[in-house]
Formats: sequence, C-alpha cells, structure tokens
Amino acid sequence: MKLTELFRKGVFVFTGEVGPVKGCCRTNGGPPPDFVREAVAIKDYVHAVNVADNQSALMRLGSLAASVLLKQAGVEPIFQLTCRDRNRIALQSDLMSACTLGIDNVLCLTGDHIRLGDHTSAKPVFDVDSVQLLKIARGLNEGRDMMGNPLTQPTDLALGAVVNPGFEPLDLQLLKMEKKVEQGAQFFQTQAVFDPVIFESFIKKAERFGVPVMYGLLIVKSPEMARYINENISGITVPRWLTRELEAVPPEGRKEKALEITLRLTKEMAPMVQGIHFMPLGWSDLIPPVVTELRKAGLA
Amino acid sequence: MIGTTKKPLEEVLAALAPHRKVALVGCDGCAKICQTGGVDEVAQLAQTLEAHGKEIVFQATPERTCNVAKSDPVLQPLKEKIEEADALLVLGCGGAVQITRHLTETYGLTKPVKVGLNSVGHLDTLVPGAVATEECSDCGDCLLNDTGGICPVTRCAKSLLNGPCGGAEAGKCEVDHSRDCAWILIYERLKALGETDKLKRFMEPKDYSRMAKPRTLYIKEGRVA
Repeated sequence: MKLTELFRKGVFVFTGEVGPVKGCCRTNGGPPPDFVREAVAIKDYVHAVNVADNQSALMRLGSLAASVLLKQAGVEPIFQLTCRDRNRIALQSDLMSACTLGIDNVLCLTGDHIRLGDHTSAKPVFDVDSVQLLKIARGLNEGRDMMGNPLTQPTDLALGAVVNPGFEPLDLQLLKMEKKVEQGAQFFQTQAVFDPVIFESFIKKAERFGVPVMYGLLIVKSPEMARYINENISGITVPRWLTRELEAVPPEGRKEKALEITLRLTKEMAPMVQGIHFMPLGWSDLIPPVVTELRKAGLA
Repeated sequence: MIGTTKKPLEEVLAALAPHRKVALVGCDGCAKICQTGGVDEVAQLAQTLEAHGKEIVFQATPERTCNVAKSDPVLQPLKEKIEEADALLVLGCGGAVQITRHLTETYGLTKPVKVGLNSVGHLDTLVPGAVATEECSDCGDCLLNDTGGICPVTRCAKSLLNGPCGGAEAGKCEVDHSRDCAWILIYERLKALGETDKLKRFMEPKDYSRMAKPRTLYIKEGRVA
C-alpha cells in the first residue's frame, strides 16, 4: 500500500523504523532476523516501517533485501535509498528492482557521509543529490529513465523525502524542501525534533507546500544515548531537559520515562502534522501504547 | 597549485634501495610553495640521502617541472648525468614525476623515476607558508556564477548541488565540525548579494563525463577530450 493513498484518504499515518543487521539473513526456514520480528511486532499499529540504508554509513544488509523480508512477513516497508553508495545507474536500477519486488514506498535520501561510518576509507559516490534523485524517481514512475529512454514498464512508487526542522538557517532548509516538492516528493518524514516551538515555526512555513508531513520522533533511551547522539549523530540535538528527565530516574525506570516523554511530545505535535514517524532504536514495543493513546485521545 | 606533502624518509629510502647514484629533481613552482620540493628542500634531502650512503649525481629544480617548456631546458643539458644515475628522485607532484619520466624517455634513457612526495590536490593558498585549501574540483563546467563564488562541488563534502543536507550543526559540516557548511556559506553570500532567488533553481545532475580521466587539453582549440 502506498502511503500517498493513505494520506489521500485523510488517514493519520504512523510509521516505524528498523535497521538491517550486519550479516546475511538466509534463515533456511528458521526464525526471522530480529529486525523483521521487531517490525512484525508493531505491524498492527503502524502503516509502514522504514528500512534504513546502511544507516550512519555502517555496512549492513541491503535495505532492498531487508524491505523484501518485511514485505514477506506482512509488514509494509519504506525502502530507504541513499545517494552515498550508488551512482545514477545503480539508483535507477535499484528503484526498478524495488518496484519489481513489490515495494510501494521509497524514501529518497542523500545519506550520511562515509566519514561517519565503519568503512571510512571507502570512495563516496554522491553522483546525484536527494533532490535530483526525486526527479529521477518521478521520471521512472512516468516511464522514462533520466536520459529520456522509455522503460518497458514504469515504476509505481510513492516518493518520500526528509527534512530537518531543526536546521539553521531554517529558510535554507525550506528552500531545499520546496525543491524536493517540485521534483516529486509526495510526503515528508522529519528529522528528530524535540522542541514543539521549533517544530511549530517549521510547520507553519512548510504548510504552504501542501505535502503531508510526518513528525519524526527519536526515542532516546538513556542519558548516555542522549550524549552520544549529540556528539556523534549529525542533525539531531537532544535537549537538556530530556536528558535531565532520563537522568532523574533509575535505569530500570527509563523505558517508562521514555514512553511518557514520547506520549507528551506526540500529543503536542500530532495536531500539526499528517502522521508520526517513530525512530525507536530497538524500543519498538513503545509504539503500540503511544498509538493506542493518541487514537483514544482523538489525535490520530 | 598542486598541493604536496613529503613522503616519510623510510618510504623514499625503500624506493631507492636498489639504487646508489641518485639524481634529484625538485620543482620551484607548487612544491616550493608547499615547502616540499623547492631548492632548499632538494638540498636538504640531498644531504640526508648522502648520510644514508647515496651518491647525489645532481640537483636540479626547474621553475615548473610539470611543464616541459620549463623542465626540458633544465634537464636536457644534464642528459649525461642522468645516464650516469641509477635513478631519479622527483620532489614534485605526480605530474612532475611523469613529465620527468617522459623527458628521460625522449632523451632515449630508461631510468627509474621515483617520487618523494604525495600529491594531495588542487589547492589554493589562503595563508602563505601555512594554509592551502581545496576550492576547485576542476569539474569542467564551473557553477560559481550561480553559487556566490563558492563551489559546492568541492566545498560540500557530499558535492550537493541543490542545498544543504540536514547534517550541519551551528553552521558546521557533519563530516568535520571545524569546517563551515558550504551551503550555509553560499546562502549567506547570496543573501548579502541579494541573489537568494538563485537558490530556488533546480540544479540538474552534473555531467561527470567532463571529469572523465585522463583528460587532454588542446590549448589552441580550447578543447578538452
């Protein structure tokens, strides 16, 4: 199911996110890998689950293969596709492969730089950027490759993109968001933001694009993780108040605290957006109670 | 200029291990600016190599070793000396090394031509004697008219053409927090020039065939192939 169809019907869309493992996942009839089980456990609460593409430039199982595993397990995947490791030939080929294998949704990303990952001596590709990738993907949906050559069959993919509401200067980020809309982005998931004031000022400016926006929420599990994110993960700032709240409870109480924070933030942000994208970093079991509570509150 | 750094002495000695008589060729152009292969550095290395048992046949430092118009007049008169040498060691960029090899071949000589430096890029001097930065990628289709005179192909770590990624924090690049985000620089510059409208225009994917190696410039025709 394409997310664009859900948005068209006015459905408040929930998505989760899993990271493929570092390793082959041929199960030979055995139990599915953990990331598939994590996705299956939330499938009744989210409409789709993002499958990260060598997240943070750490070499992993391919996002397309992992997306297909999710699809086979009855979970709607959002295939993340970055420009970091593929030139324009590989990108187009992977988009057609994805559609061929039954994928309906793709998230078009630039990708974290190789310098942040575990193969720092690799050659970065970045042949095209995320805006150009969206245009290329739209062209494939319309039945032609980026050189104008006709396809025997067009792709049929819903095209997602990302935007960082916490970026400064915000107007520069919005200029890029507008270009993404013009070149084919049909929905947005935001980078993790924890400040409702920042998010509101972003959403007020982004509303004019008329494209569904999903609020991105990262579930911070501990004060150590908050510090790690601030020091190592680009584009995300965990505010002090959140770290302090996690510090104020003993380790065994942090999951409950994370649930409380997640509920509070999603309740505040939900009225501003068309959906919520959870980045649970393994704590996907927090998603069902949050979704249930938001629905009960009439916010979703 | 072409930026260069010195190879570790052990690596140079290993490359010269089979050879006793060594001819030293520096470069009084870029390598001089980088303090890696000018007259002074060539003389210093000559002393060091002598201390390691090498015989220095000659020291020469053309004004620009990469340009045969400058290096041939210096090296041709040394043909007999080159013949006497077991190997040449060039303190210049990779281009200087290969032009030196080319010249020795045109002199009918088959001599090992070794390199004493690492070439580290097309760099431009920001602080003389101290700092040179990469500003241009020689992409063959300059965009600077539209980007406020700041090159995103070079100065953005991801060579993004349509604006910044989401990774910059406090104006700094996600790849290196000591470096400014190129797109924020471009934005501020275009804002100051009253040209932010340029940022709205979609930039098509670059034609990287213009960077396909090896390129040849036909100077008279102004043609690259």
